[in-house]
Amino acid sequence: MTGGDFISVERIYKTYDSGLAALKGVSLTVRRGETLVIVGPSGSGKSTLLRCLCGLEEIDAGAVVIDGQVVSGDARLRDKMRPELGLVFQSFNLFPHLTVMENITLAPVRVRRVKAAEAEKAAGRLLEKVGLADKAGARPAQLSGGQQQRVAIARALAMNPRVMLFDEVTSALDPEMIGEVLAVMKDLAAEGLTMVVVTHEMGFAREVGEAVVFMDGGEVVERAAPAARFFDQPATDRARQFLEKIF
Amino acid sequence: MKKQKNPYKLTALPAWAATLALLAWLVYDGAVKSGYSWEWSRIPAFFFDADKGELGPLTLGLGLTFQITFWSLLITFGLGLFIALARLAGGTVLSALARIYLEVIRNTPLLVQILVMYSVVGEIFSLSRFWAAVLAVSFFEAAYLSEIIRSGILAVGEGQWQAAWCLGLSTPDTFRRVILPQTGPMLLPPLCSLVISLIKDSALVSVIGVYELTKAARSLIAKTYLALELWLTIAVVYLLINLAVSELGAFLERRLGASGRAGRFL
Ligand SMILES: Nc1ncnc2c1ncn2[C@@H]1O[C@H](COP(=O)(O)OP(=O)(O)OP(=O)(O)O)[C@@H](O)[C@H]1O
Ligand SMILES: [Mg+2]
Repeated sequence: MTGGDFISVERIYKTYDSGLAALKGVSLTVRRGETLVIVGPSGSGKSTLLRCLCGLEEIDAGAVVIDGQVVSGDARLRDKMRPELGLVFQSFNLFPHLTVMENITLAPVRVRRVKAAEAEKAAGRLLEKVGLADKAGARPAQLSGGQQQRVAIARALAMNPRVMLFDEVTSALDPEMIGEVLAVMKDLAAEGLTMVVVTHEMGFAREVGEAVVFMDGGEVVERAAPAARFFDQPATDRARQFLEKIF
Repeated sequence: MKKQKNPYKLTALPAWAATLALLAWLVYDGAVKSGYSWEWSRIPAFFFDADKGELGPLTLGLGLTFQITFWSLLITFGLGLFIALARLAGGTVLSALARIYLEVIRNTPLLVQILVMYSVVGEIFSLSRFWAAVLAVSFFEAAYLSEIIRSGILAVGEGQWQAAWCLGLSTPDTFRRVILPQTGPMLLPPLCSLVISLIKDSALVSVIGVYELTKAARSLIAKTYLALELWLTIAVVYLLINLAVSELGAFLERRLGASGRAGRFL
């Protein structure tokens, strides 16, 4: 069945310069078309893991394998793979000096060498998909948090990445805006996009997650599929304690 | 957009007038008390000699000051940006060299740098006085500009780099399309001060006999003894040029702010 794995993380270690060991031998796999949800307490290493996946952080040991190729430690391969992983951040990180349209088309034009007109057409379709067709000319500062996050998702999608990584994308949003962003993500999951979703939205995790990974203290404590099984019958004490604190 | 009056100008005008009047009176009174006889009527001919129908030495000197400023600005921007990027390439030989350059330039007097550029470097590479002057001023200002640019680049948040990285943008594209456009508007006020410093500092190249405005005034004083008139005149010329630069800077800042482009970074 390993032929179905798109991402395979093999015993990776990451210690920050500060001496803090954020990942201590983490292993997991993400299958093609799967929505994998990662949950765990604050500081458990979830963001660090996503950053190691897309090469924002170098790992100290272990291997990150994407589409059958070991990308960790191979700068050229990692650069080639970078556009194939779309990361959406908690803090949106839109380019404030560019319009919504420019935010979305910049990378396809510069990296994928798509013609500007084509890129704009595609961006228009993506904006429609995330419900912001009328905001193409706006600047990020003129949008609400939920709108900005939907633009950020559209921007990542515009590269046609083979996997989307979401790092607590609703944590910085006002409650009334969380739903609109989660709705977009649900659509993507339903379309069969491969997704890794770090979230504190347990309802969403349960509904959309085809598998759940529970992390604590820089380790994977538990993996369960489907997600509902984890929430109903956690296999470990640590997971049980974590879930009790939340619900 | 409706036209907006700039309140700064309205209140500043009387203040300027009062300050200048006070200064003028102080100079005049001091001169009278020390028995100095004013000969202001001879000054206009130093700008334009109507009898001969040719430009006077002050105008020619001013022209040279502008030329030095123009070339120095060009080189300063190129070099300053390069040094800033070199400094940011942490831990490399390039960044160490940039650091040494910075320390040498900032911790020695510009006057000495100009003399070294002229009599040592200029000698080796047979530079003309003019280019020795331009290079000395450029190297000096570039050190300061690089620090301005570097702090501007560092002020752009980590998240912008990360977003660009994850989209697959190359490092040059990240700088050109993402980081520098956000840095630019932020840098306008310090850049404006830098241009003003550059124009003022260009007066120092008179020591190697480049006939710019200050040198022209000095030669005229040696010939005519109109020291007070000439010094005051060129002071006013520098003042007017630099006020114009400030106004231009303020105008650009308003334009960039009004267009909404990175307006909130100003
Ligand atoms: N750049 C960094 N330098 C040093 N330590 C870091 C850095 N980033 C994260 N850490 C530390 O590494 C540990 C794991 O952090 P990480 O951000 O991966 O956790 P997380 O699971 O995403 O937490 P949260 O739910 O709060 O986002 C934390 O203790 C954090 O303080
Ligand atoms: Mg996190």
